[in-house]
Amino acid sequence: MSVTPPPPSNRRWAVITLIGCAAVVFAVLLFTGLSRLLSRPAPGTVAADPIAKPTPPAEAPAVPKIKATLYFASEDGLRLVPTEREVPLAEGAVAQARSILEAQLSAEAHAPLMSAIPKGALLRGIFVSQRNEVFVDLDPAIRTAHPGGTMQELMTVYTIVNAVLTNLPNLQEVQILIGGQEADTLAGHVDLRRPLRKNESLIQQ
Amino acid sequence: MLVIGLSFLASAQTPPLTVIAREGRKPLPVTSINNQDYIAVDDINAAFATTSREDRLAGGLTMTARGRSIVLTENQNVVSVAGRLVTLPAPPVRRDGRWYVPADFLPRALSSALDVRLDLRRSARLLIVGDLRVPRVVSRVDAGANNVAVTLDITPNTEARVNAQQGRLVVQFDADALDLSIPLVSTQGFVQTIAPGDTPQTVVITLGPRYATHRVTASQPDPASGRVTIDLMPATTDVAPVPAPPSPAPDTRLVIPTQGPSTGLRTVVIDPGHGGDELGTQGPKGTVEKEITLSVARRLRTLIESRLGLKVFLTREDDRTMSLDDRSAFANNHHADVFLSIHANYAVRPALKGAEVYYLTVERADEEARKKAAENATTLPALGGGSRAIDLILWETAQARYLEQSASLAGFIEQSLRPRVEMSPRPVQQLPLRVLVGANMPAALVEIGYLSNTDQETQLGTAAYQDQIALALLDALTKFREFLEH
Repeated sequence: MSVTPPPPSNRRWAVITLIGCAAVVFAVLLFTGLSRLLSRPAPGTVAADPIAKPTPPAEAPAVPKIKATLYFASEDGLRLVPTEREVPLAEGAVAQARSILEAQLSAEAHAPLMSAIPKGALLRGIFVSQRNEVFVDLDPAIRTAHPGGTMQELMTVYTIVNAVLTNLPNLQEVQILIGGQEADTLAGHVDLRRPLRKNESLIQQ
Repeated sequence: MLVIGLSFLASAQTPPLTVIAREGRKPLPVTSINNQDYIAVDDINAAFATTSREDRLAGGLTMTARGRSIVLTENQNVVSVAGRLVTLPAPPVRRDGRWYVPADFLPRALSSALDVRLDLRRSARLLIVGDLRVPRVVSRVDAGANNVAVTLDITPNTEARVNAQQGRLVVQFDADALDLSIPLVSTQGFVQTIAPGDTPQTVVITLGPRYATHRVTASQPDPASGRVTIDLMPATTDVAPVPAPPSPAPDTRLVIPTQGPSTGLRTVVIDPGHGGDELGTQGPKGTVEKEITLSVARRLRTLIESRLGLKVFLTREDDRTMSLDDRSAFANNHHADVFLSIHANYAVRPALKGAEVYYLTVERADEEARKKAAENATTLPALGGGSRAIDLILWETAQARYLEQSASLAGFIEQSLRPRVEMSPRPVQQLPLRVLVGANMPAALVEIGYLSNTDQETQLGTAAYQDQIALALLDALTKFREFLEH
C-alpha cells in the first residue's frame, strides 16, 4: 500500500510568500528610514562632523543645489571677488558649511579671476562650537602647497573665512586648524591661533 | 687710520674692510657670495704674511700662519686650526681658481693661528689688529633756534679734549685710531664740515661765519660710553654767551635738546623674516625670501649704527630656523624701542608688485586672557627657553598697547619708501600678524617687494635696491625718533 504525501495546501504557500515579501519591504523601509534619521543632526545641539567625505560624483545629479558665494582673487591680486556658484544642498548648518567649503577649496576660477587656495587643499573636518565659532580643520598638505608671502597667505585664509561666514551669517568667527591641531600660522604670517572674523576690507565691492 | 664707513652705500660693489694695525692701515678686498662677505685667501696671505697650498685631489686648502696650519675644505663650514675645529657661518668657496673664506674666518680662525686679537667691526667695516684702542665715535648735530650743538658719543668712554684753532675746533681723543661715523651736516652757518683730522686720533669741526664761541660739556650717558657736547653760539646776540666757568650747564639743555636717543629711541631690533628650514616665499627664478631679508637687515643695521648711533640687534644673524614667538621675545629681552620685521611678498598675480607696510590689528579682545592677566603675574617667553617674569603684560596684549605708535611708525615707513621704491596699490594695511602680537614696543612688518613678480625678483636681489630699502627704513626711524621726542 502506498501512501502519498498530502499535496501542499495552496493557502499555506500564499501565507509564506506574503510574510517573506512583508519582511523584505520592512527591512528596506527600516534601513532607509534609519539612515535618513541618522544623517540628520539633532537640532539645537552641538554638531560635530569630524571626517569629511569627498562628495561622490555619482550622487551629484540627485542632490539638490543651492547658490552660494565663493571668493576668488581679483585681477589685480589685491581683493577677493564674491562669485555665485552652485553647491550641493545639505541639511543643517554644519553639513552646509562643509559642502560650501569643499566647493571653495576645489573650485576652479573663471578667468580673469584666480583661486587663492593652493591646489590639492583638503578639508579634514568642520565643527561648530556652542558660541557659533566654526572650526575648519585643513589637511596639513596645504602648508607644503602654499607658496608663502603675507599677501598670498592673507588671501588664502580669508577666502576660507569669508566663504563660511558670508553664506552662513548666523556664524560669527572661523578658526582654522591644521591637521586637527591649533596652528600658529599657515605660512609664517597670519595669526591663526584665534578665531577670525569676516574681512570686509578685502572683499571687492 | 680714521675711517668713515658710509660712502660705500652708494655703490653696489662690496666695500673693502679696512685693516687697522699699529703699523698703519690697508684695505682688504671683500667679495659678496650668497649675500655674505667673503675674503680671498690670496688677499689674506698678502695682508697677514700667511701662505697657502691647495690640494686639488682632496678638495682642500692648507694655510700656514706662524707655523700653524689651518685646513679648509671646500663647501664645509668647519675648519681645522692647529688641530682644533672651528665652525664658520658659511663654508669656504672656490671660485675661478681662487679660494674665499667668510669674513668671520678672520676673528674665529686666523686670529688663533696668528695668536693675535682680530676685532671685526662689521658696521664700520673695520678689522682691528692687536690691542689697539679704537673707540667708536658717532657725531650728531642738533640745530636750536639760535645755536647748534655737536654731540660726539664715544664707546667705550675715552678722554677727549677740544682745542680752538683758526676757525676750527680740533677734538683730540686719547686713542690709537677712531671708528668714526659722521652724518651729513646742515647747520645754519655754524659748522661747515665735520671731518677726520690730520692725525688718526682727531676730528676737526670747521666753523662757519655765525660761530663766535663755544662751550664743551662732558657727560656719561651710560657706564659703557661717554659723550662730549659742544655748543656753538653766535656772535651777534642779545644775550652774551655765558663764558664757561664751572657751570654744570643745565641751561644749555633748555635750548638744545641733546637728550637725543636717550629719550625715545635707543635700541632697534630688526627681524629678518623666515630662515633655516623656513625658506619663506620663492621667486620664479629661485630667489629665496630668507636670504633677501637677512641681507637687507644687515644693510639696515650698518646704516642705523653709523648714522643714528643706536644699538641694533638682529633676531637672527645667520640662516637659522626661529619661531615667531622667539623673535618678539628677543626684542622684548633686548628692551627694543622699535621692532621691524622684514619680509618679501608673494601674490597669485605675477603682475602685482611694490612694497607694503603692515601693523597689527587686534581682532578681538580676549576677555578670559585679560582677566587671567589681571589676576596674576604673567610671564613672557625668554630667549633660550623657559620663561621669565618681566612685566605684568600679557603676551597676547603686548602689542595692543602700542598700536597708535605702530600706526605712526608704519606711516613714516610708507612715506620714506615711496620716493625710493615702487609701492603696492595697498601700501599700508592693518593685519593680524603673528610675529607682531607679542612685541612690547612699537612694531611694523615691511614687505619690501613681490618675489612673485619677475622684474621685482631681479630687483630684490640687487645691492642697489636693498640699499634703497635700508635707506628708506633709516629715514623712517629718524622721523619716528623725532616723533617720539616731541
